[in-house]
Amino acid sequence: MNRKIHLTVNGTARSVEIPTYRTLLDCLRNDLGLTGSKEGCGVGVCGACTVLLDGKMISSCIALAVSADGHAVTTVEGLAGDERLHPVQQAFIDAGGFQCGICTPGQVVSAKALLDAIPNPTDAEIREWMLGNLCRCTGYYKIIESIRTAAQRSRA
Amino acid sequence: MNAFEYAAPRTLDEALTVLREHGEEARVIAGGTALVTMMRQRLVSPGYLISLHDIPGLNRIEVANSGLRIGALVTHREVETSPIVRERIPVLAETFRRVASVRIRNMATVGGALAHADPNQDPPVTLIALGARVEIRGAVGRRELPVEEFFRDYYESSLAPGEVVTAVVAPQLPPASGAAYVKFLPRTADDYATVAVAAVVSLEPDGERCRQARIALGSVGVTPIRARAAEALLAGQRFSAELLQAAGESIKGAVDPLSDHRGSAAYKREMAAVIVARALTQARDAARATARGTR
Amino acid sequence: MTFTQECLIPVERERLWDFLMEVPKVASCVPGLETVEAVNASAYKGSLRLQVGPIRLSLQGTMTIEEQDRSSWRARIRAEANDRRVGGGIRARMSLTLVPGEGGTRLQIVTDLAILGRIGEFGQPVIKKKADALLEEFARNLGAALVA
Repeated sequence: MNRKIHLTVNGTARSVEIPTYRTLLDCLRNDLGLTGSKEGCGVGVCGACTVLLDGKMISSCIALAVSADGHAVTTVEGLAGDERLHPVQQAFIDAGGFQCGICTPGQVVSAKALLDAIPNPTDAEIREWMLGNLCRCTGYYKIIESIRTAAQRSRA
Repeated sequence: MNAFEYAAPRTLDEALTVLREHGEEARVIAGGTALVTMMRQRLVSPGYLISLHDIPGLNRIEVANSGLRIGALVTHREVETSPIVRERIPVLAETFRRVASVRIRNMATVGGALAHADPNQDPPVTLIALGARVEIRGAVGRRELPVEEFFRDYYESSLAPGEVVTAVVAPQLPPASGAAYVKFLPRTADDYATVAVAAVVSLEPDGERCRQARIALGSVGVTPIRARAAEALLAGQRFSAELLQAAGESIKGAVDPLSDHRGSAAYKREMAAVIVARALTQARDAARATARGTR
Repeated sequence: MTFTQECLIPVERERLWDFLMEVPKVASCVPGLETVEAVNASAYKGSLRLQVGPIRLSLQGTMTIEEQDRSSWRARIRAEANDRRVGGGIRARMSLTLVPGEGGTRLQIVTDLAILGRIGEFGQPVIKKKADALLEEFARNLGAALVA
C-alpha cells in the first residue's frame, strides 16, 4: 500500500509517495536524496541513523516514514547555514572528532540536540546523552572534546 | 518488512473498531520501536497497522488520587523529564531514565512497552513494586488490573485480542517510605538489565524496623516477578545484614532466569540476591531520609 | 544447546514404547503439530506451529528415527525444520529413554538443539522455556491418549 506523506525536511516542505513499509531512514536517503544519515545496525541501537523529529532525536531506521507525515525532520544536511557550518560541525572538524566518518552525521545531529537541550553540559551529561551513538574509530574522547568545544564556543 | 495497510484513526473507538475488524492480521503501533524492529526482522508480519498517534487524550500525565495516571502514549522521555513525576514518584522517573538511549525514550511509549511484555524491561519492575495498575480498553469496554498480573509469558501480556492499554496508574509512596530501582548491567549502559530490582520500603515509626516491603525483579524469568516470600521475611523485622541475607536467599528460590548473553541463569540467580539487598538498603535509606524530612 | 527433560506417563513401559513408535499416533499428541506424513518406514515430514507472544513460527521439516531398540528402551531421533518466512530453523538430535518410575514410566529426552538464523538471534533463551512447556503439554496429551 502506498501513502503520500507531507513533511518538512530541514525547513523545506516535501511531499513523497512511499510504501507504508518504508522506514524514515530509507525515505530520507532514497526518496528525498538525503544520504547523510546512515544505516548501521538496523535496530535503533548504534545511532548512525539519528535524525531530529520535531526537534527530538530518534532512530530513523526503526521509524516508519508514514509516522513522520505532518511533522518536521532535521537531518545532518540541515545543520549548516548558507555561509557557515553549524558550530557543532565546525567543532568536530577543529577538535578531530571523526575518523572514517560513518557515525559522524549521527554524532553531530545528537550533539546539536544535546546543546539545544543543555547548552552547558557537564562531561557526565555529554556521556549520558551520547551513549547511544557508537563509534568504532575514535574511542570517543575526541567526540566528547568536540562537543565541549562547541558548547564553549556557543557560550562565548 | 512485509507490505501492510496503515491507518491512523483519530479516536480510540475508531481504532478499536478497526482492530476488531481485522483480527489477528492487525496490530496497534505507537512508538514502534519494538514492533518495527520485529517487523524488520520478519519475526512478525501484520497485514494491518493501526497507529494510535493521532488519538488525543492518551498522552497526558495527571495527578490521580495523589498518585499519577500516565497515558499510554506518553513517551519514556516524557515520564523521565516530567516535573510532576519527578516530584511525586521520583523512582518512576529514574526508572524510565534507565531505558536504552534518549532516542528510544523519545519514541517508545509507556503503553507500548507494557504491551510488548519483555521481561527484561525496566518500567514494569518499578511499576509492580509501586503497586501500579494498568487501564485497558477493548471492544467490550474497559477494565483494569494490577501490573503484577498483567504479564503472562515472554512477550505475552494479558491483553485479549482487540484490547489496548490506555493508561497506567501509579500510587504515591505510602508515608515513611522510600523506593529504589537498581539496574545491574555489566555490559553497555543502554542494554537491558542482567538483573533489576525495584524495592519500596515502609518503616515503622521507630525508623529501625521495616513495616512492609514490596520487591519486584526484572530479567529473572519469562515475566517480571514480585518477591512475596522475601517481602514476608522483612515485614515487622529490624534491618540487619542477616535479614538482607535471608531475603536474598529466598529470592534465589523465587526466580527462574534464562541464560543469555547478559549472563547465565546461575549468575543471574546469584546476582538477584545481591541486587535485592542493595535495592532494599537504598530504599530503606531513602525511607529514613523521608522520615527525617531531609529528602 | 543441549538440555535434558523428563516427564512421567502413567502407563507401563511396554505400552508407552509401542505407542511412541507409532508416529502417526504420537503425532496427535504433539502440541502445534499440523501435518505429518510418512516418507518411508522411519522418516516423516510435517509442519509444526510454535508461538512466542506475537511471533508465530511455522516450522516445516522432517523427522527420522535413526535408531530404536526395544530391548534397551532407547531411541534416537533426528529432526530438521525451517521457517521460510522468519528465516531460520532448528536442527535437533534427541535421545529418548524409557525408565520405570513411580506410578508409570519416565520418559527422558536429551536434546542437542541448534537454532539457526533469525529464530536463533531472537529466541535462544526462550526456546528452552518453550521446549519445557511443549513437553509438559505433550506428556499430558500422551497420558490422556493412553489412559483413555
